[in-house]
Amino acid sequence: MVDAVAIAAVSEMKPARYPDKDGHALYIEVVRQLLAEWHLKPGDIQGLLACPAGMAGGGNADIFVHEQLYEELGIHPLYGDTMNAGGATYGYMVQRAALAIRQGLADSVLCIGAGKFPKVSTGGAEMMARMVSHEAFEFPYGTFIPAIYAQVATRHMHEFGTTAEQFAEVAVSSREWALRNPQAATYGTEPLTVAKVRASRPIATPFHLYDCSIPLEGGAAILVANASVAKRIARQPAWLLGMGEYHSHRNIHQAADLMDIGCGRAGRMAYERAGLGPGDMQFAQIYDAFSVNPLVFMEELGLCARGKGGAFFASGATRPGGDFPVNTYGGLLSFGHTGDASGLSMIVEGARQVMGIAGDRQLPRADIGVVHSYGGMMSEHSTLILGRQS
Amino acid sequence: MNDETIPAKPLPKMTPGAEHYWHSATREQFVLPHCTACDKVFFYPRVWCPQCLGQDLDWVHASGHGVVYSFSVVHQAPFPAYRGDVPYVLAVIELAEGPRMMANVLHCDPATVRVGMPVEVTFEDRGEIKIPQFQPVHS
Repeated sequence: MVDAVAIAAVSEMKPARYPDKDGHALYIEVVRQLLAEWHLKPGDIQGLLACPAGMAGGGNADIFVHEQLYEELGIHPLYGDTMNAGGATYGYMVQRAALAIRQGLADSVLCIGAGKFPKVSTGGAEMMARMVSHEAFEFPYGTFIPAIYAQVATRHMHEFGTTAEQFAEVAVSSREWALRNPQAATYGTEPLTVAKVRASRPIATPFHLYDCSIPLEGGAAILVANASVAKRIARQPAWLLGMGEYHSHRNIHQAADLMDIGCGRAGRMAYERAGLGPGDMQFAQIYDAFSVNPLVFMEELGLCARGKGGAFFASGATRPGGDFPVNTYGGLLSFGHTGDASGLSMIVEGARQVMGIAGDRQLPRADIGVVHSYGGMMSEHSTLILGRQS
Repeated sequence: MNDETIPAKPLPKMTPGAEHYWHSATREQFVLPHCTACDKVFFYPRVWCPQCLGQDLDWVHASGHGVVYSFSVVHQAPFPAYRGDVPYVLAVIELAEGPRMMANVLHCDPATVRVGMPVEVTFEDRGEIKIPQFQPVHS
């Protein structure tokens, strides 16, 4: 590919509760860890994109975070911004970074985020419901994020006969992977079963507690670079082969079709730009705030037949040793959901698999994979295709 | 749960172009915005038409009929105002006129709600105003 761009370095904190660290302190830890792991020098970071940490935490988010970071790093970027698109933020950062690098604005752009997550049970659910639902036409009906996602799950059950047990299979698959990832929040715990998921506390039908991601905190960093920088920093860069972006709606009731919610549209653009198709993908990393997302988005991304996502997960294909691994780090369901930074985790893992640095969970086949993330209530979508050959 | 400990449910914020919608609902009339340029009915009310961006809008009296497009039965109250309501139904209703809107499905056992179920508008008193809600059609 002309003007090849790659992910040259990635680093991520272990998701946890960090009560002594505010958003800024989390950011500093992410940067410290990145620099220590990859021995970066000041000239390696020519651009910087960051996202305010703590947006759902009561209005103390730093909307100038990129300025603070480049000053502390002692660098003067040629390209920089603070941006937000919820969970799609970091997919879009990688896309913006690639455009800037191809345009010659910078040789490399650091895409970075840190996230806090308010306690759901003590006001967090209300605060987040207010953030993501229409203040006149949704919030007064008692919106609740799991119940908003459940609209897609219920409709899928209606149209295709998908069962609550099949959604639970997604959580079971993710836990299998998390048990192989020492950085996952649930590492060292017990495997899940469909029965355990269904026996956990009911939240909003069809979801029980283990259908929901784990609210935690953390952060990660991704260095996007041109070919010369990427080859110098990484033994095997993760080349960006294709990318797609699509914005559907903001409020869930405004989605034109809950079964065509924008994921597939971003995916088709990414495949087309890569000159590849779903059949060329060897794995997928899919943003999973709830168990419904990977099941439905596998279909939208063309990775399994329409209406067959439930059977696909129940078959075991997505688990360790399966034919088509999904969310090989444990997903937000079992790795942990780091609030504002959650949209980094699936990109970091997609890059690690392609770079061949995924440790005990390294896939035998990871030449090409797809990473999908979205922001809002499945509102805006980002698809990235990563591969070993530019 | 003692009702006195449960705060009032939220009121809709008055957004530009929607005042007549809420004033009508408070009089138990269900109206929808209509674009005179492209002759489309749409939801939610705003100051322009989301199909053609025209600003010459009027209102039509809606039938108040629709079907459940999708829903979830909420078991964990998201905030204190809903403590006394769980389990309750958060639904997307497809109106007979075409547009979809969010509402609760009231006056029924939540376990009986199904996708495609016919529903009709009803109005819930929120103090200062009433808001459109839906209930099963009893034929």
